[in-house]
Amino acid sequence: MENIYVLAEHRKGVIRDTTWEAIAAGRKLSSELGVELTCILLSANAAMAETLSTEAPRVMVVENPIFETMNSEAIIKTLKEVLKPSGSYVLLMGASNAILDFAPGLSVALDAALATDCFAAEVRNGKLFASRQMYSYKINSLVSFKDSERVVLTIRAGSFPYAPSDAVKGAIENVACPIDPTSLRKRFIKYVEAEKGDVDIASADIIVSVGRGIGDEPDLDVFQSLADTMGGVLACSRPIVDKNLLPKFHQVGTSGVEVKPKVYLALGISGAFQHLGGIKGSPLLVAVNKDPRAPIFRVASYGIVGDLNEVVPVLNEKIKSLKG
Amino acid sequence: MNILKPADAPILGAPAPAIAFIILFLSVAFFCYVMFRRLDVLRKAAPDPRFSNISTRLLRALMYGFGQWRQPRYLGAGILHILLFAGFMILSLRSLTLIGRGFSPTFHIPFLTGSVGFAYESLKDYTVIVVLIVCLVAIVRRAVFHPKRYDHPGTAGHEYEAYVILGLVSALMITDMIHDGSAYRASGVCGEYHWFPAAAFASVFMPSNDPATLNFLHVGGYWAHILFFFGLLNYLPISKHFHVITAIPNVFFSNLNKGTIKPVRYGTVDWMELDQCGVSDLTGFTWKHILDFYSCADCGRCSDNCPANTVGRALSPKMISVKARDYAYENFPVFDKTSKDPAHEKRLVGDIITEQEIWACTTCGACEAECPIFIEYIDKIVDMRRYLIDRGEVPQSLQKPLQQIKKKGNAYGAMKSKRAAWTKDLEEFQVHILAEGEHSDLLFFVDSCGSFDPRIQEIAKSFARIMARNKLDFAILGQEENDSGNEVRRLGEEGLFEQVSGRNIEAFKARNFEEIVAFDPHAFNAIKNDYPEPFKVIHSSQLIYRLLSHGVMSLNGEYLGGRVVTYHDPCYLGRHNGIYEEPRRVLKSIPGIQYQEMTRSFSRSFCCSGGGLLLWYENEEEKERMGERRVKMAMEIGAQVIVTACPFCLINIEDAIKTTGNEGKIEVIDLVELIDRSTS
Amino acid sequence: MNIIVCMKWTPDTSEADLTVSTTAKDIKKDDLDYDMNDWDRFAIEEAAQIKEKVGGKVTVVSLAPEESEDMLRECLARGADEAFQIWSDQMEGGDGYAMASVLSQFIKGRPHDLILTGTLAEDDGAGQLGGMLAAMLDIPSATLVSKIEIKDQKASFVRELEGGLYESMEMDLPCLIAVATGLNEPRFVSIRAVRKVTSIEIPNVGIDEIGIDVGKVGQSGARVEIEQVSLPPEGEGAEIIKGKPEEAAARLAEILKEKGAIG
Ligand SMILES: Cc1cc2nc3c(=O)[nH]c(=O)nc-3n(C[C@H](O)[C@H](O)[C@H](O)COP(=O)(O)OP(=O)(O)OC[C@H]3O[C@@H](n4cnc5c(N)ncnc54)[C@H](O)[C@@H]3O)c2cc1C
Ligand SMILES: Cc1cc2nc3c(=O)[nH]c(=O)nc-3n(C[C@H](O)[C@H](O)[C@H](O)COP(=O)(O)OP(=O)(O)OC[C@H]3O[C@@H](n4cnc5c(N)ncnc54)[C@H](O)[C@@H]3O)c2cc1C
Ligand code: SF4
Ligand code: SF4
Repeated sequence: MENIYVLAEHRKGVIRDTTWEAIAAGRKLSSELGVELTCILLSANAAMAETLSTEAPRVMVVENPIFETMNSEAIIKTLKEVLKPSGSYVLLMGASNAILDFAPGLSVALDAALATDCFAAEVRNGKLFASRQMYSYKINSLVSFKDSERVVLTIRAGSFPYAPSDAVKGAIENVACPIDPTSLRKRFIKYVEAEKGDVDIASADIIVSVGRGIGDEPDLDVFQSLADTMGGVLACSRPIVDKNLLPKFHQVGTSGVEVKPKVYLALGISGAFQHLGGIKGSPLLVAVNKDPRAPIFRVASYGIVGDLNEVVPVLNEKIKSLKG
Repeated sequence: MNILKPADAPILGAPAPAIAFIILFLSVAFFCYVMFRRLDVLRKAAPDPRFSNISTRLLRALMYGFGQWRQPRYLGAGILHILLFAGFMILSLRSLTLIGRGFSPTFHIPFLTGSVGFAYESLKDYTVIVVLIVCLVAIVRRAVFHPKRYDHPGTAGHEYEAYVILGLVSALMITDMIHDGSAYRASGVCGEYHWFPAAAFASVFMPSNDPATLNFLHVGGYWAHILFFFGLLNYLPISKHFHVITAIPNVFFSNLNKGTIKPVRYGTVDWMELDQCGVSDLTGFTWKHILDFYSCADCGRCSDNCPANTVGRALSPKMISVKARDYAYENFPVFDKTSKDPAHEKRLVGDIITEQEIWACTTCGACEAECPIFIEYIDKIVDMRRYLIDRGEVPQSLQKPLQQIKKKGNAYGAMKSKRAAWTKDLEEFQVHILAEGEHSDLLFFVDSCGSFDPRIQEIAKSFARIMARNKLDFAILGQEENDSGNEVRRLGEEGLFEQVSGRNIEAFKARNFEEIVAFDPHAFNAIKNDYPEPFKVIHSSQLIYRLLSHGVMSLNGEYLGGRVVTYHDPCYLGRHNGIYEEPRRVLKSIPGIQYQEMTRSFSRSFCCSGGGLLLWYENEEEKERMGERRVKMAMEIGAQVIVTACPFCLINIEDAIKTTGNEGKIEVIDLVELIDRSTS
Repeated sequence: MNIIVCMKWTPDTSEADLTVSTTAKDIKKDDLDYDMNDWDRFAIEEAAQIKEKVGGKVTVVSLAPEESEDMLRECLARGADEAFQIWSDQMEGGDGYAMASVLSQFIKGRPHDLILTGTLAEDDGAGQLGGMLAAMLDIPSATLVSKIEIKDQKASFVRELEGGLYESMEMDLPCLIAVATGLNEPRFVSIRAVRKVTSIEIPNVGIDEIGIDVGKVGQSGARVEIEQVSLPPEGEGAEIIKGKPEEAAARLAEILKEKGAIG
């Protein structure tokens, strides 16, 4: 591979964390392959490249108002042109919902092999390997890419810890926008915020779930705030719905909603069969419960035995500070 | 003086018999026409074979129709109704006599002459008083105390009907009293008032020496009575009081097959080939079911006992009858033949009887056990569900478990191959899996819940231990077992029921055993009553009772430790299969047991909210959980242990103990577990 | 309106204890029950609902062996007009790219205004087929779509981003939409509903009939190769984080961060 590219993801004018983790993965591969890392930014505002240039030795920028948002058609067409001159390369991106929209199409346009949602990548004897999960996270699989000249990898959040390295002062290279935005067949209209009420816990990746252990007159804002901090949604066990603390569609369980999250934080939930029956796949399950013998600990990956009223506020603050 | 007889008194110059004839003719003609129109709807309805076992049916009609056997379940109202009904029976002869007297002043019913006639006249007079008093009490009861069960939520103008009827009946009594009272006054016999209290009482208000007034009262009272009588007769089939006419036939035609569900359509070889499956409109119901709608007396006993109604779900069985009857009267009217554009009509199933109502039923059977005239609800609800299933309109929460049963034979989505995995925890012995062609005395049907729900597995283990300890030769089907299909059928997915039951039947037939035993009453019920081929099946409580009565097992009271125990009758054991005694006898043979019956027990038991697939269904309207209600009922009588004999009752009640904050104060346990723990 | 729905036939692994096959390239699948990919249930339902609204024809296609017939029949019961099953032994070992190549070749030959797929397959979970297929057909596409409206040769839709944020967009037809679960309420399919469509034939199409070069399918057409699969190391029960509540909470926050559990 002659090049390593990282495509930056941004939303509402801000570079997203997924970019930094993709850069971390890129750095690892670039040292293993001994080639330079280039960060690509498609943006309506070329100034955003400044922040990237402290992290990557080279930044390519295509500026055009169409890149205000991550329009998949515009991105695919642009990258196809921009990367045409490059020979063989690995293109890295975060595995976010925005990127999921174009990574597969991009791989076809670039005539590249694709592995999505990778949690590890390495080069052994000059050959690239990536690790991903299958069967609802129950199986790890190690894949390689035959003799593909080009490979696109999307990187699962949290897989490549990122540390800022202000040392670099990358060169910023402006590239003319190769496409005519008016010819696009896909158009962005607007962002829509989900109303607080109508979150869909069934498709949420991160779930903060509360049970009877939160007490009879809990301050739900505390838990909502934790869910917001974690970028997840608030769910609950049946007694919480019974007490009218949360509407029915927040209830996880056999007679509630079936969920398939990546992370499930169970606060004050005992782990009854009817509750666990609604959690599919094998999420990272974390339980906070004051009873060390609560059945939830048998299925959880991590647990804290303690009073959730003491644990949750600290946890929230700590996560906020880690997010920076 | 000699009083003027009505037949002798011309009216506006016309001879009385002519008037009597005209009234009789018009009334009877109108009545026959209305009845024809009403019954014509039954002719359009789906078939229903209800002419078998005539002797059983006659007996039922005698006992529950004429005998009013179920009325005293509500003591006060029941006694009132029995009195009223008896009054009606007695007074019917009087009415015939009076009709005849319009033609001939001396008309009488052939055998009612001489002293018999006198005795009847006297009895009639007492009856008139009783009926009048009953009517007044009933009016006061309704007007002043208005019991909730008489309400008609969501429909207009039904309450007044009762007053119309009570008023008409009272008017009949009063005009009868005026008619007879005036004759009594005129005859001047005063010593016989104890024979004719009504007449004597009425006469008190009449002048003694005014023949004109007395004649007027006598003749006028007569014609008023006749008009009220025919008015009432013709009001019956256009009001809720149709039951006066249809109730006894309805009891005669009542369902004799307890515990099972009617086929999709009687007389069809392959129901799958039908254009439509299930009931979407009035005439999709069977004729008997429409007769049910006609017959409902709006007494509200069904809804009063319906657990779904009690906890605030949309369902009220009575209102299903009321709404369907309204629909029938509106869409098959007596006169107006110009039918309205059906496209703008409300659909009976979906709009008038809503999906929420249809799914809210637990099929507990409390309504049917209560109804004095044997109106059926479960079959109707299942028929409507069949329609919704056919259209794919099934609550999302129920779709998953149904699909899982289709694919894997159990609602838990567990792999078939793990069906016998629960037996691995039993260290003392191994549970034999019966292979094809093998024999064992007992085939233990574990069902999906016992195989896969960790809490219910405990009951399965206890039961296996009891059988092993008593050296019974038993085995299970293992992988070859499928869900019993009890709930699948009751949710209206008949095709899936045929699939799972068919697989079980195949597995049964390929093996040799004396009887099947199940601790889950739902499985027990399905195999006993739903499976098209007969298999001998008993419930765990019956097996344990057998062991106890053979004296091979002895119990001790250590586990109960003197706590107060009550027994919760599971719907599918009690009401649907009449097994009330065995579990109680088993309990009572535990030494030193402190047993207390709950107010709602035996056929009045209160459903825990249902088993099987209903565990997956949650009703959002409900304000309280049925299980919580049940726990409170047990706490009220000071019980510390609720014993049940159904795994789903156990799950629901165990959860309710937790949610009502009564952990540690009261415990629920399955009979099988209790016996396991009470044997040394 | 010609709607084509791509269905994947996936093993249900939710309740199974998975084991790795002897080749270590896949899991043992003999014991597993296969069924419609859960996401695709929403795709076929959406197709049926769009057809009910604007008319048209719904075609279902699955690259899957013969045993998948039940699934395709279920699709017919759910409202599809026709269903095709595409399989040849040469397709064995194909990755998303190889599969998309077959599908695109098949679809090219027939009218299509809207192609619906699920966003992810439950087994591979790569979320790649839709986008690849659209690129091969040179039509616009979108994934994780939670609401669709078809009007005036355009599809207006809403797609899900993270943390309760959605983007509202539109595309010209023809286009491909990969749906998110929950965008509709799939109907129930009874045994009878499936029986009613037994007479509809489900053609088995071989790759030779599609006219695709054998080198482009299966293992040889794949760009990704599975080297090895393994079970993630599993701890017995939860690892209890010790310490005072504040310390434990702080440690937990770090763990969550490390595991990428903070969105
Ligand atoms: C038919 C049926 C269907 C059902 N369906 C569902 C369903 O869909 N979803 C569902 O969730 N349930 C369902 N249930 C209920 C289920 O059985 C359990 O009762 C329920 O899940 C328990 O909820 P919980 O864990 O919040 O409460 P509990 O079991 O009471 O657990 C509370 C936990 O909080 C802990 N705790 C208390 N205080 C604190 C504190 N200060 N700090 C930390 N920990 C604390 C306790 O140790 C305990 O473990 C169903 C039940 C039935 C019968
Ligand atoms: C090296 C390798 C070998 C493989 N070998 C095989 C094999 O031998 N047999 C096999 O069946 N699979 C095999 N697979 C899986 C194969 O990748 C998938 O069938 C294909 O990649 C679909 O992609 P996906 O799982 O990423 O689906 P996703 O992209 O996650 O699926 C999204 C949507 O695409 C549609 N879709 C996906 N697959 C199909 C399909 N087959 N037919 C119709 N629509 C579909 C569905 O609508 C689905 O919801 C292999 C994968 C790899 C990497
Ligand atoms: S069967 Fe039970 S739940 Fe259903 S209507 Fe009758 S009483 Fe109510
Ligand atoms: S169905 Fe029976 S119990 Fe119910 S209201 Fe009618 S008559 Fe009374």
